Order: sequence, then C-alpha cells, then structure tokens
Amino acid sequence: MTAVDVKKLKKAEKESARHSAARNQISRGANFWFNILLIVACILIIFPLWIIIISSITSESALTTYGYRLWPLEFSTNAYTYLFKDGSVILTAYRNTLIATVAGTVITIITVGLYAYALSRPDFKYKKFFTFFSFFTMLFSGGMVSYYNMARSVLGLKDTVWALFLPMSFSAYWVIIMRTFYKSSVPEAIIESARIDGCGEWRTLLQIVAPLALPGFATVALFSAIGVWNDFRNCLLLNDSAQYFNLQYTIYQTMNNLRFLKENASRMGGVNVANLPAETFRMAMAVVTVGPIILAYPFFQKYFVKGLTVGAVKG
Amino acid sequence: MSVGKLQASKNGKSKTLADSGKRQAAYLFMVLPGVLFLLAFAYLPMPGIILAFKKYQMAVPTASSFFKNVFLNSLVTSEWNGLNNFTYLLKDAPMLIRNTVGYNLLFMVVGVVLQVGLAVLINEVRNRKTAKVYHTILFMPYFISWIVVMYALYAMIAANGFFNQINAMLGKNAVKFYSVKKYWPWIFLCANIWKYTGQGSIIYLATLTGFDEQLYEAGAIDGASKWQQFKYITLPQLMPVIVMLQILAVGRIFNGDFDMFYSLPNGSGTLRQVTSTIDTYVYDMLKKGNLRNSFGYAGAGAFFQSVVGFALILITNGIVRKHHPEMALF
Repeated sequence: MTAVDVKKLKKAEKESARHSAARNQISRGANFWFNILLIVACILIIFPLWIIIISSITSESALTTYGYRLWPLEFSTNAYTYLFKDGSVILTAYRNTLIATVAGTVITIITVGLYAYALSRPDFKYKKFFTFFSFFTMLFSGGMVSYYNMARSVLGLKDTVWALFLPMSFSAYWVIIMRTFYKSSVPEAIIESARIDGCGEWRTLLQIVAPLALPGFATVALFSAIGVWNDFRNCLLLNDSAQYFNLQYTIYQTMNNLRFLKENASRMGGVNVANLPAETFRMAMAVVTVGPIILAYPFFQKYFVKGLTVGAVKG
Repeated sequence: MSVGKLQASKNGKSKTLADSGKRQAAYLFMVLPGVLFLLAFAYLPMPGIILAFKKYQMAVPTASSFFKNVFLNSLVTSEWNGLNNFTYLLKDAPMLIRNTVGYNLLFMVVGVVLQVGLAVLINEVRNRKTAKVYHTILFMPYFISWIVVMYALYAMIAANGFFNQINAMLGKNAVKFYSVKKYWPWIFLCANIWKYTGQGSIIYLATLTGFDEQLYEAGAIDGASKWQQFKYITLPQLMPVIVMLQILAVGRIFNGDFDMFYSLPNGSGTLRQVTSTIDTYVYDMLKKGNLRNSFGYAGAGAFFQSVVGFALILITNGIVRKHHPEMALF
C-alpha cells in the first residue's frame, strides 16, 4: 500500500467514526449553550488574574485615584523597576524558592522513583509491609503541633533553606502514582530478559526501566516542583528570619505590611516613601510569583492530567 | 540468549537463592531513602500526639535527662493533664467544628455537582479542539497558590477594588468586605469553586471517556435522550469514582484548607467567627508558644483532627465495603 493509500484509508476511517458518533451527538442548539457556559466559566477563571496583571502595570496615582479597573488608565512599569532593585527582598525570596524547587524535585525523583520501583516488583518479599508503611501516612498524622516542634528542634530545620523543600520531598501519593506508571509502562518480560542476560537490579532500573517510565518521572517531578514553588505552610511554620523566606511567604507578609516597603525604600536609598508604588508594587509581586507557573503550565498540562488520573486508580 | 547462560541460571538451587537474597537486599536499599523521609516527617511526629494529654512545661534538659533536646525532654517530663486540654478546647469547639465541617460539606456537595457537570459539558462539546482549550484554562487555578488568590481577591473586594468601582458607578456605597461576616461563606465557596472545579473534573472526565461507546449507541437506538443517557448510563458508571473520592474527603473533614482560611481574610479579626477552623485555631495556639500550656491546647485540637479523621475514614470505608465492596478504598 502506498503512503497516499494509507492516508486515504485513515481519512475514511475518521470520517466513518465521525458519522457514527454524529448519530449520538448533542443537538446544535445544546452545543451552542454548552459553549456559552464554558466560555463564561473561562472568563470567570481568568478575570481575577487579569485584574492583578493590569493593576501591576498601572501607575500608582491612577490606582489610588480610580481604583482597580479592567484596563490601565495610566500605564507604568515603575512597580517592576522597584521590584528588581538590588537588595530587594523579592530577589532573596526568588533565589530561595528556585534552590528549593530544584533540590526538592531532584530528591523527589530519586526517593520516589526508587521506593515505587521496589514496590512494583512482584518478587519483593516485604512489598506488603512497605506499601502499608507509606499508605498509612496518608491516613494518619501526628498533627501540626508535633510536626512543628519535631521539625524545628529535633530535626533542626528551623531557619534553613532545607525547610523549604525537605518536608515535601517524599509523599505516599506520588509513590502510588509512580508504581502505577512502572506497572503499566514497563512490561514484565523486558525486566525478566534483562535479568536472564545477567543485568543486576540497579542496572535494570537505570538503563531499562527508567527510560520507559520517563513520563512517570516527568509527572512526579512537575507535581513536586509546583508543590515546592507554591508552598506557604512549611515556611510559615519553620522559618522565622527573612533571609530564608520563600516567595509565597514573602508576598503573604507584604500584603499587610507597609513597614516592609518603607524599610526596603530606605535601603534603596533616598526614595520618597510617599511616591513609592505601594499597591502596584504588591500586585507586581503577585505577578512575578505566579508568572512562571502560568507560562509553563500549558506545556506540561498533559503530565498533570496524567498524574491526577493515574493517582485515582485504586492503590 | 546463549545456551551457556541458560544453563548457568538453572545451575542448582543455591545459586538462585543467593540471587534472590541479593535482589531482596537491592530492593531494601531502594526503599531506604523513602523510609528515612517517612520516618522523619510522618512517623517521628506521631508520638508527639500525646501533647494533647500533657500540661506542657518547658524543661531544659540536664545532664541526667534521657533526651538532650528541649522539646523531647519537656514532652516527657511535663505532667499529665487528663482531659483538661480538651475541656479548654470545648469553649471554642462548637464554632470551630461548625465552620470546619460546614465548609467542608458545602465544598464537597457543590464540588461534586459542578465537577461532574463540567466533565460532562467538556465531554459533549462537539469541537474537540475548543474543548481542549476550555479544559486548559479551567484546570489552571489548581496550580495557583492561595497566597496569589489572596491578592486577586484583594484586588476585587478591597475598598477601592473592582466590585466597589462597579458599586460606585451604580451610585451605591462601597461595601467593606473585610469587616462584614455575612459575605465570607460565599467568598470561601466561590474561591473553592474557582480553584478546584477544573482539577476535580479531570478524574471524572478521564473516567467518562473510558466508557464503552456502544452502551450509548444502544441507548440512543432505544430512544434514550441525552439526559436519560446521562442519568442511566453515565451516572451509575461514575458512581465508584465519586464514592471513592468522597471517602477520602470525609477523612479530611476536620482538616480545612489551611492556606485558604488563613490567608484570604487578610488577618481581619472581626471575621474570626466565620473564618476560624480547627486548623487555624491550632496554628494560633501554636504561635502563642510555650506560654500557658498553649502547646497542650493546640495538641488537643490536632489530636482531635488526626484521630477523629482516621476513625471517620475507617468507618466510611467499612460501611461502603459492606454494601458495595467494589467501591471501597481498601
């Protein structure tokens, strides 16, 4: 069969599939209203983010006088200029968040990847025990007070960058996802034949299993990265000094804290506090915090969808 | 595969046993890092739950104390306090439980309806490409932190926020959202819907698309309308997934979404009656530090959450397993 024939055949198949589906599609009218509903929903989703972005590029005086609008009455990028001035708290927070995100993701891939692989092997003698050992942590916890004290004083995480990612580097939920990936994307026969060829467990995992389970690693890595990037609670609980704050906690503090701005202003040297872009500055902080996620998310959406649906499969 | 290797692998029982022993050792080595993480961050705090029954008194360890750590030493040496910490908790308990459980139930019920509804909408839209675009947009808020949502909310409901601009245009007085209680249940509900509807619908959508198309075609031939198809074909098939997710949600019914309840009200004290949950209460107590046994009170709240939540998940799962074993979680 020539390539053209194959193309034609595929097209015909598609056509017939569409016809058979057409019998059971919703009516044109219903389709119209469904679309309207979904478009309204999408607008409602985007609207709050739109307001943040627009107000961050409005001049401070326009924002004070006219309030939050759908469109900047006076365009200005002052807020961003202040944001990235040397010595700004946001730069420290950005650095901490980046370090934590990278380190946390790497650790997650290694620990979850190894743990889940052992659990996915039918010949692992203690499989049941270790499955329970991780699953139990999804059902029961020691509570916030105990965690707070243990992590701060016993584990010594108080006021460290470690606090921003170590507590989130391993989760039973990801183990379940990763194990399902191994089981569904790595055929038992391949592992078996590698073993007969004299391949050890580690080499099998690294050279044969890992490349096949790459989408699984991507999924877990992305969830971990988002989790660390968006973390607020661990920083709130474990870190007290500003040099170890992450982005979320920094912008949380800024919200009510105009004093922070004034301190920052004096450090910038000779800036008149009255002229400081207070509200637009805050909104710009929110924009740079959420920006990377909104920009990167559409490219990775399929992994997130996969992770959520795979996780729902009974463990 | 060479014949020699095949023979080697069949070469007596002792060889395979040694192989298996080596393999088990490798597996154990693989779970080790994960075990360390679970021990440090999940299992280590568990015994600390006895704080709930202690009158916490800070005790600096001496040369003779078993634990050299201040917290561990204080935990062990503090007197038992019976159920007194819980009695103290009871003072605020009705309000806290009403808020925590009330909001959670509200989110669960509204959430299921909207999420299943959205999944069906997206599944039925004729143009698959636009359906994908809708999906991408609606799923996005799941990845936006509550802190950023707090900013967006502020931009909308602050004194000079977007809503009050509209109010001003309509000639109405500005609404002070951050000091009026009655708005907040609705604000929390809207925020919750905004953030989680798209994400929640994904599992239903994935389940929906996996259904056998023939069932629907048979239904259509027998004259079932789209609505009847949804009621008699889609919904019954979705049930196991819905039930499973609700079991998990019931287990967390005393654990609110801490970040949301803590951040959205922007620290407004006047709203406390409608924005405090057990989580935020435990945190507030915790922040009072070692003073007046606040660790003990916070511990009582945390104990309540952990133990009652655990019991609830076991009970719900037990009931489901009794009636529909295939829907049970474990």
